[in-house]
Amino acid sequence: MSEQRMGDQSFMKGVFHGDLAEDLIFPFPQVAKEEGENLSMILDSVSRFLDEKVDSAAIDREHSIPESVIEEAKALGLFGLQIPMDHGGIGLSTTAYSRIMQQVGGHDASLAVTLGAHQSIGLKALLLFGTDEQKERFFPTLATGEKVAAFALTEPSAGSDAAGIKTHAKLSEDGTYWVLNGSKIWITNGAIADVFTVFARTSDFEEGTKPRLTAFIVERGEGLTTGSNEAKLGIRGSSTTEVFFDDVRVPAENVIGEVGRGFKVAMGVLNSGRLGLAAGCVGVNKTLIKMALDRVGERRAFGKYLGEFGLIKDKIAGMLARTYALESMTYLTTGLLDAGVPDYSLESAICKVYGSETAWWVVNETLQIAAGTGYMEEYPYERILRDSRINLIFEGTNEILRCFIALSGLAGPGRELSEVSRAMREPIKGFGLLVDYAVKFARNRIAPGRLTRAHPVLSRETVLIEEYTAHLAGHVGNLLRKHGRDIALMQFAQRRVADVAIDLFALSACVSRTTATIESRGEEAAREEIDYTRIFAVEARRRLECNVVGFEANDDEVRKGAAVRSYELGSYPFDIMG
Amino acid sequence: MKILVALKRVADPDNANKVKIPADGSTIDTAGLEFKPNPFDEYALETALRLTEDGTKPKVRDGEVIVVTFGPADTESTLRAALATGADRAIRVDANDDQLDGLLVAKGLKTLVAEEKPDIVLMGKQAVDGDTNQVGQALAELLDWPMATFAATIEEQEDGLVVGREVDGGVLELSIKYPAVVTVDLRIVSPSSVYSTKTDRSFKYNEGVRFSPLPAIMQARRKPLDTKSLADLVDDTGLKINYLRFEAPPARLAGVKVADAAELVDKLKNEAKVL
Repeated sequence: MSEQRMGDQSFMKGVFHGDLAEDLIFPFPQVAKEEGENLSMILDSVSRFLDEKVDSAAIDREHSIPESVIEEAKALGLFGLQIPMDHGGIGLSTTAYSRIMQQVGGHDASLAVTLGAHQSIGLKALLLFGTDEQKERFFPTLATGEKVAAFALTEPSAGSDAAGIKTHAKLSEDGTYWVLNGSKIWITNGAIADVFTVFARTSDFEEGTKPRLTAFIVERGEGLTTGSNEAKLGIRGSSTTEVFFDDVRVPAENVIGEVGRGFKVAMGVLNSGRLGLAAGCVGVNKTLIKMALDRVGERRAFGKYLGEFGLIKDKIAGMLARTYALESMTYLTTGLLDAGVPDYSLESAICKVYGSETAWWVVNETLQIAAGTGYMEEYPYERILRDSRINLIFEGTNEILRCFIALSGLAGPGRELSEVSRAMREPIKGFGLLVDYAVKFARNRIAPGRLTRAHPVLSRETVLIEEYTAHLAGHVGNLLRKHGRDIALMQFAQRRVADVAIDLFALSACVSRTTATIESRGEEAAREEIDYTRIFAVEARRRLECNVVGFEANDDEVRKGAAVRSYELGSYPFDIMG
Repeated sequence: MKILVALKRVADPDNANKVKIPADGSTIDTAGLEFKPNPFDEYALETALRLTEDGTKPKVRDGEVIVVTFGPADTESTLRAALATGADRAIRVDANDDQLDGLLVAKGLKTLVAEEKPDIVLMGKQAVDGDTNQVGQALAELLDWPMATFAATIEEQEDGLVVGREVDGGVLELSIKYPAVVTVDLRIVSPSSVYSTKTDRSFKYNEGVRFSPLPAIMQARRKPLDTKSLADLVDDTGLKINYLRFEAPPARLAGVKVADAAELVDKLKNEAKVL
């Protein structure tokens, strides 16, 4: 069993079972010298393009990115960042790609989402699962942006629950093409895309049974139509439309991966796509911190600068520390991926949840610091707030992702994601096998995990990680033994498990990165990073304590009862008028 | 046309406050500084690119642009950035900043010019760190070539250049024959400052220097980058200019509040002695 654990190589899956596979997270990944040099030149070009050409206020006001800006982004090479060089792309690693998305995300969310829909998810299935022939056929034009890609999974009856997909594909009698019928909603880049990664069922629809999904590359053409752009709260410059398939003929050689294994393709794409989103959140946070710092150094009240007030300092310290944690976990995960670690699904889901929630908190606090000014349309605060809201929703809602984090962690390493997902749909039947395995696994733990490679200056934070890793593993074992398969239904417990996991990953990433700085540049040069890590650790400890206590003592049942009773009534039950 | 562009990297001028000087004033502590290309030298590279192309087809280079810098190994990133922007090849002359002065750099360039035989040597009017403003002039003297400094506009002719220099009260136009040394001022990167014979006069460039497309950045690594030692180029590598001592500018004193205009006038007259 321990061999399987080592071979599986997910730091966080180890944590669920009390292991701290520190060799995975130490040393903190560094960008290799040559790529670093290229990357700094690229960032220089990208920043100048963004500063000189991309007017976010105008994009928001006009609900569209000017054609000239898109054309210039294409000419710059921004549409082919991860496509290999021999297919006409730039051939960047995930770390470099994410760092660029950070830059774009920190400047304009609509452009970041457009670029992300194209390459974080739109063409990612081809990149991860495509054949050489498919890559040769599609990459050269996708890399230059001559053609734009989109990812089409969501349907009216299938959002987070991909099993509800009704769009179906039927193989022609001679087996040379598929006929696609159905529709998709909320497809980013819908109006501008030429190439769609489409998920369709290739088994008949039957309520309650697991569908067989297949991924297809579908080119815009006869039978494929897109609706008009949806009006949205934020990211208004990005295109979001419905996509309709009316007897669309798709050549048999356009199947991505295997027929019937589309779910695996979708999960693979989203696992890696979430990192681009998290990196965009790092960029938003850095922009907001700059805005907040400018504000508190300019604005005066009661004869002082805002920055002199304690409650402002508290907010700024929180922004700095949480952004450091987010940046550390995001680039730790991209580093793992670039190093060839095969399973980063839990880590990337954590980055997405923590990134989107941290950015939402930072934008809210920055707007609060600007107060009345923050609320005015004339200033960028409210736009950034609107733009940031989507991150909590798309690429898997944070609620679903918390359940995913908990269940895939509970299920132990080496489990197919589709099994976990099926467990959410068919808890008892689907989760049974997983639990039998996991219970055995939980009982086999002997010694608690240790982080021996963390720098001694961070010993308090290291102990916190070790202590709560043991707590998590203990409670996971208890939950599994006590509730068995029913754990699949217990979302309150899942949330606690997920929240503990998120804090442990964030803290581990901070400790790894700060250790690297201390070791390379000395304790004095690492002062700020040590402080950020400590600030984050104190915040994390409060949450960890609360969550761990909650495993045993909570009011989950009372809350469930109140909710269920209100469903019958359909409204809030009281009024002071009696 | 063949153009040699001399580039220097300087401590990031936007972070000048990070420059530290040890108590004995013997040197400038460059640890922890970020380096950028000297902006005027970036303008010189942009000028060289504009002179070797049709403005509507910036990917096609008509002629050759060679960039050279004098510095330690990590200055190669400055050269690679120049290659990514469009230069054809690069030369690094290995030397540390404290082994160099303006005359030595000019002498080194003279030897390179003899090897490369460019039509024009272009560089910024000065580097924004030392601000010595010597190398271009010294090089022209050593080569006995015509020189135009502080160029604000350049128009290519059949056998030379017409260079516009902004002077008090107007623009002075010089006509110089190849080969020549030209140093450029900031206005040279305006939209209609530089025209090669291939670029139509109605064409307008984007303001400023061009940014490198990402594929060019990745391909820059394949372009040649040669290294030479200073001793290969110059017989006597001794410094002619010695820096005796560095001092940080005195910290600004806190201001005082004056009660009324009369007090202000009094202070300006009697303390500041400016009235």
